[in-house]
Amino acid sequence: MSAQPPDGEVLLAVDNISLSFGGVKALADVSFDVRRGEIRAIIGPNGAGKSSMLNVINGVYHPQQGTVRFRGETRRRVDPHRAAANGIARTFQNIALFKGMSVLDNIMTGRNLKMRATLFEQAIYVGRNRREELVHREKVEQIIDFLQIEHIRKTPVGRLPYGLQKRVELARALAAEPALLLLDEPMAGMNVEEKQDMCRFVLDVNEEFGTTIVLIEHDMGVVMDISERVVVLDYGRKIADGSPQEVRANPAVIDAYLGVAH
Amino acid sequence: MQFFFEVLIGGLLAGVMYSLVALGFVLIFKASGVFNFAQGAMVFFAALVFVTLQEKLAAPFWLAFALTLVVMVLVGILTERVVLRPLVNQPQISLFMATIGLAFFVEGAAQLVQLWAFRDISPRPLALGFQDAPIDWLLARFNMLVSRFDAFAALVAGALVAALALFFNKTRVGRALRAVADDHQAALSVGIPLKYIWAIVWSVAGFVALVAGLMWGARSGVQFALTLVALKALPVLILGGFESIAGAIVGGLIIGAAEKLAEVYLGPYVGGGIEGWFAYVLALLFLLVRPEGLFGEKHIDRV
Repeated sequence: MSAQPPDGEVLLAVDNISLSFGGVKALADVSFDVRRGEIRAIIGPNGAGKSSMLNVINGVYHPQQGTVRFRGETRRRVDPHRAAANGIARTFQNIALFKGMSVLDNIMTGRNLKMRATLFEQAIYVGRNRREELVHREKVEQIIDFLQIEHIRKTPVGRLPYGLQKRVELARALAAEPALLLLDEPMAGMNVEEKQDMCRFVLDVNEEFGTTIVLIEHDMGVVMDISERVVVLDYGRKIADGSPQEVRANPAVIDAYLGVAH
Repeated sequence: MQFFFEVLIGGLLAGVMYSLVALGFVLIFKASGVFNFAQGAMVFFAALVFVTLQEKLAAPFWLAFALTLVVMVLVGILTERVVLRPLVNQPQISLFMATIGLAFFVEGAAQLVQLWAFRDISPRPLALGFQDAPIDWLLARFNMLVSRFDAFAALVAGALVAALALFFNKTRVGRALRAVADDHQAALSVGIPLKYIWAIVWSVAGFVALVAGLMWGARSGVQFALTLVALKALPVLILGGFESIAGAIVGGLIIGAAEKLAEVYLGPYVGGGIEGWFAYVLALLFLLVRPEGLFGEKHIDRV
């Protein structure tokens, strides 16, 4: 895999982010950037603040300090649905799909922001609504095809096995055609085969659609294989940042993962 | 046998009227998990605004209907802003309590309108052009008494359900509504604005309240007792399930038919007058057997 740092423009930059809940400091003065088209991994021991970081990026949490710059636009706080409108899509650590709805409908919600028909047109089901449904349905079918989930498209999501649910969640995020895709432990709890599939999908998405990806992952093999640059967090602080090889050799990282001899 | 069918059909058609009210509850419960105690009050309020517009401004039916709809949408948006928005992320029970408060508020507003417009609180008649008289050809052909008005109400309810089903299943907003009902956080992450969706849900519930208010108002006059119609919707919901539009209809049909049949066939043994409470007994029995309702979602908790 490519180890040389990509030299594209900076798509996302988080600067001096600090976030605390009451007395608990989840993130302390964390800065890093993500360049257009790269796969960026965030790793760290449990409770290091990885998911908090993603939540700051897509606006679920509002940091007490620091800014997030996305596509050249700097903002202090943003709401999740605004972040989605700006081109940030995500998946969640504990799958957050609409369990009662079919796979197809779940993915269609990802197209929500692309549809333009007014409420009135939808209420009487004429004009743009009908046309739009068809156009977007086609796009969704392409994604379904891409992720190889044709056989389950009508199944209610709640009935699917875990690995497939993760894939549907990825499909829903892709349906929004995001500029930035945030994946929170996309391979957690999967068996080896499912992990390989998911890895391939992540790489394919990156290559074919040129989507920039930020992912949190615990499986070091996966991280080293697919990511171009890695940020390491520990107790809410950034302790390393660089190519997988650099990070792996970094003594601070080894200490964080294995503990320090006293 | 022919008498049995007459009672059955009468009951089924009466049940449709209960379904109309139950629908309003289902809409809001589906989209926000809140049991809207104020639904009955909204039915009364909508009917009253309609009658006032018709009588005081001499507005034709469609104009009065459209204006009342505008008022109900405003009520929906206002409810979202003033009542629901401050309660985001609060426990469901807080939201439920808030709707009880809302019920008193809407009831009060309706009574103010009534006093201001008519200076008394007696029932106002509301005419929709369908008399509560038997359908002639059914009477001639099968010798059965089926109310014209009831048949009309059933048609309206059927059309309403079909429209809502289409809206919920085939449009972006419908999908967004179901998504919000399922998972707030995930809905936000795909760019669905929660506040906007809630305003829509309450507006649609207002629309359903208006239709139910017109039907019930035409049947028994527009009066404060309309708020109590909501109580009859409870057994319907328990039977049909709180989350299902189809359940509201089927539940209504079962309750309507069961209470009429019970009155006619069981009533004489206990001295009659069981129509008023039979529905609740049925709901109670149903709770023992199938607490989630016929079409409700079974909630299985992982331990």
